[in-house]
Amino acid sequence: MISMIGAAVGAVSSRLIVDIAMYFGAFVIVAMALNFQYGNAGVPNMGCAVQVIAGGFAVSTFTLRLTLWLLQKAGEPIRPYASNYDWVYNNPYNVQTVANGFIQSRPLFGISLLLFSLAISLVLGAAIGWLISLPAIRLRADYLMITLITMADASQIIARNWVPLCGGTLGVYVPNVFAWYPGDRGIITAVLTLAIGLVSFFIFRTMLDSPYGRLMRAIRENEVTVGSVGKNVTGIRRNILVFASAITALTGAIWAFYFSYVIDANYTRALWTYWPWLMLIMGGPGNNAGTFLGCALVVAMRRVIIVYKWFFMKFIFFPMSYFEQILLGTLLIVIMIFRPSGLIPEKLLYIPGVNYKKMVREEVKVDWRAAPKARTGGGRFKLWGRKEEGGG
Amino acid sequence: MIIPTIWMSAIVYACEISILSIGFTLTYLTAKIPNFAHGTYAGVGVYVVYTITKILNLNPYIGFPISFVVGGAVSVLIFLLVIGVLTRMGGGTIVLTISTLAIQIFVTAALYIYAYWLRAKYHTYALGFMIKDSDFRVGGFQGIFPVSILICVVTVVLLHYMLTRTKTGVAMRATAEDPELSSVMGIDTNRIQLFSWFLTGGLACLAGAMLPFWFMSSPATGGIIITSIMAGSLLGGFESIYGAIVGGFGVGLSEILLTTWAQNIKIGGERLLWIGEYRPLVPMFFMVAILLLEPRGLKGVWDRLLASKTGSRLIERIRGGES
Repeated sequence: MISMIGAAVGAVSSRLIVDIAMYFGAFVIVAMALNFQYGNAGVPNMGCAVQVIAGGFAVSTFTLRLTLWLLQKAGEPIRPYASNYDWVYNNPYNVQTVANGFIQSRPLFGISLLLFSLAISLVLGAAIGWLISLPAIRLRADYLMITLITMADASQIIARNWVPLCGGTLGVYVPNVFAWYPGDRGIITAVLTLAIGLVSFFIFRTMLDSPYGRLMRAIRENEVTVGSVGKNVTGIRRNILVFASAITALTGAIWAFYFSYVIDANYTRALWTYWPWLMLIMGGPGNNAGTFLGCALVVAMRRVIIVYKWFFMKFIFFPMSYFEQILLGTLLIVIMIFRPSGLIPEKLLYIPGVNYKKMVREEVKVDWRAAPKARTGGGRFKLWGRKEEGGG
Repeated sequence: MIIPTIWMSAIVYACEISILSIGFTLTYLTAKIPNFAHGTYAGVGVYVVYTITKILNLNPYIGFPISFVVGGAVSVLIFLLVIGVLTRMGGGTIVLTISTLAIQIFVTAALYIYAYWLRAKYHTYALGFMIKDSDFRVGGFQGIFPVSILICVVTVVLLHYMLTRTKTGVAMRATAEDPELSSVMGIDTNRIQLFSWFLTGGLACLAGAMLPFWFMSSPATGGIIITSIMAGSLLGGFESIYGAIVGGFGVGLSEILLTTWAQNIKIGGERLLWIGEYRPLVPMFFMVAILLLEPRGLKGVWDRLLASKTGSRLIERIRGGES
């Protein structure tokens, strides 16, 4: 039995490492963007699944059509793809045989397709972030939260049933833009994802260390004060939402290329809203180290449980994934209760060149749960600038 | 009297959504959080009735009081273990909302495990079922049709009586308005909170117990109908229980009727649209429309009507006509 487990571990582990790296890269981008929005600026974007979905369906809708159109112009034997039926039915042949064969000998074509998808998902994500910010200026935070969470569900329902988007319930293959790479496609996708994660980490860190980042934290702590010194709070919030949404949408595109397949079940609300929020809250909002830790913890736990579920299945009668959900849900609530500021609490902001010892004698702690300010004015929670009028 | 099946189905569904919306609004009023786990309590009710009917072979209506108690107990347990602790520690709206999302996923997973356990132990298919055949029939109707209307009406009347006439109800309303002030006035806010969580959980579980009589149910049902519940609550103004009654009923009714009617539009014998699978979008459409047009829902419309000249005159005339 032990030798059997050992053999399975040997066979699985290298693949498992690639898998964990890919999942970590994808989720850490979303969680970092959330940390940027909620942890530092106090904008609770519950709709991050919407942006990820937009990125994923940009690949199946735009990149795939563009590829097929270009290949048709190049004289490749592409089968028709205009009607709904042909779009799904001829998709495996068109993509797997023709497009991937074409990309195999032309790396530049594959890379330009990848860049095109990333660019279009960036633009789409930014557009969605801007759209979200429009009602957000007018609505109360809890209304907005409900709307965003249901919007993620709505986009999934539309994708499941509207065939031109991503083939409905059957899903569509998307071209393997790494077909020219001789080795495992998973490895190069994972490396690319981690690279994008690293770049976005440096971008976020630079922004947070800049005066703009301090402004964001100031808005989180007390928006009235920031508004009173002449800063445009609403505009800053909108910029943050647009910027972070664009980066979130990149994940959706890479997610599609990792599986070479787009289907609505890969873009559920639970996967792209609940899990990144869980990682953020678990790790501790407000600092990127906490986000990394929470993300690594959750992803490693989930992947190991799922990959080795055949081992656990001997002892239990139900699918392993439910046990995993219970485990992680309990873990989240336990961490929320016993370590309310996450595994790694936010550190005090350090500005080089300022003598803090002289400035502050007593310890100042940043309580993240107090921001955004809850329970002010009759127990209502107003996030956005305008005050509630009248009150019925 | 012949009532089309689609109307019966819509009314049964509307009654359930109405009761669930009342509970959602009550939770929002007392705890100040949108409780995303509210739909999942209905899932608990579904399995209480399933156990009573299929495993214990009893009359399914015995499940109604049991599911009320079980749902209340689950809700109180959640409040004591999670929400209450987090609130006492000063958790903001976001932290509490994330915790309700976690509870939703937790309870759904627990229900799945229970269904798999039933399958392993009793060899019944507990993952997707209806118990229509265990229901009684009254004059051509299925039993649940009059029963659901009766339960809905009785719930509304009792709630109205409780909130306006009894001490507990008044204390509940006071706690919802201002917890600090009401505790100064001698109200045990903690006990009122416990009572309101018991009430909302019990009502949700009762509504869930009515679901499998007419609709296909599975452990995921509770998570799916939460959008309808929230739409009903938003339509009613989100802060008004009477609004939630009307809003929930309207959303539930329109969700079934609109999709059916739109589907039956025929031009030259051909179906114009096939939109049955987009049914969950109807409440979402409602939500977006409400938020764009009148963020305070029916309550806002009503207040505006009362404030305007023609509206007040109209209402006066109606009242005058009555007397």
